[in-house]
Amino acid sequence: MLPFLKIMLRNLILGPSTDPFPFAPAKTHKNFRGCAVFDPEKCILCGICRHVCAAGAIQLRVSEDGSGMQYMLWHNSCVFCGMCAHYCPTGALTMSDNWHLVHTGAEMFSNCISSFIPFGECAQCGAKIQPRTQAIIDKIGERSPERFLLCPKCKRESIVRNVAKVNHLPAEENP
Amino acid sequence: MLQFLSKLAPRSPWIYRINAGSCNGCDVEMATTALIPRYDVERLGCKYCGSPRHADVVLISGPLTLRVRDKVLRVYNEIPHPKVTVAVGVCPVSGGCFRDGYSVGADIDHYIPLDVIVPGCPPRPQAIMEGVLKAVEVWRARLEEGICSHS
Repeated sequence: MLPFLKIMLRNLILGPSTDPFPFAPAKTHKNFRGCAVFDPEKCILCGICRHVCAAGAIQLRVSEDGSGMQYMLWHNSCVFCGMCAHYCPTGALTMSDNWHLVHTGAEMFSNCISSFIPFGECAQCGAKIQPRTQAIIDKIGERSPERFLLCPKCKRESIVRNVAKVNHLPAEENP
Repeated sequence: MLQFLSKLAPRSPWIYRINAGSCNGCDVEMATTALIPRYDVERLGCKYCGSPRHADVVLISGPLTLRVRDKVLRVYNEIPHPKVTVAVGVCPVSGGCFRDGYSVGADIDHYIPLDVIVPGCPPRPQAIMEGVLKAVEVWRARLEEGICSHS
């Protein structure tokens, strides 16, 4: 009997179903994928984010003086798939729940992440290598902390020296 | 009289949608914004209209494929001045995932001036509403200045 009474009562209790968005903050789910956030302190310039980016939003360019790389992520090309954050080995890229990205046409090309990341230096010879940030040292550099900070050439020499020491071979004076 | 009307007009912008070869993701979100009581863009005085000649705010989605390019430009030129263009999604700006496709030429930006951009793939309905609100601000400024965007 009178089934609409039940619906009316429920609507009275629950209130309007309209999201009061422009006048009050909208609800955002905690897993919502919004724009990417970049932490240059953790980036090791491995380039996996650029490799997996479906929309081609990420660019890595060597700076003009060769002292580092310019990292660019254009939000107007990003499709929020989150692959970069998934594959980033150090957690430098993460997806925030920020979706307030509306901007005017004049800001089209300035709506991006742009940061300069300097190259690291080999602890022995000073050659330019990928930056050895604390995030990657904690992850894979613990087995041989000294060797991890070397460039590939110095690393090879260090390994050979170590093998020679273990096998009691005579170390050469002039390698 | 015209002054008075241009003060009143921004209270009810009429919205027109153009699908420039979109994948329909953004179109579904735009329909959601208009039709579902949860978002209800009509609260803000907006109304989706069927004819480009009645429109004030244009929502464009899609990367402007070669097949629809001339048709989109023809429809766009029928919209009276001053019009405000809102790019919904990343496709109109950069092409998004379709950027190098065989059927996609230059971005919409080369043909139509974009006034407001709502990035997302697709943007959520609240973001589209935010974009419409921003477009209304731009439109109000244009009405007050009496300037036209070039077509």
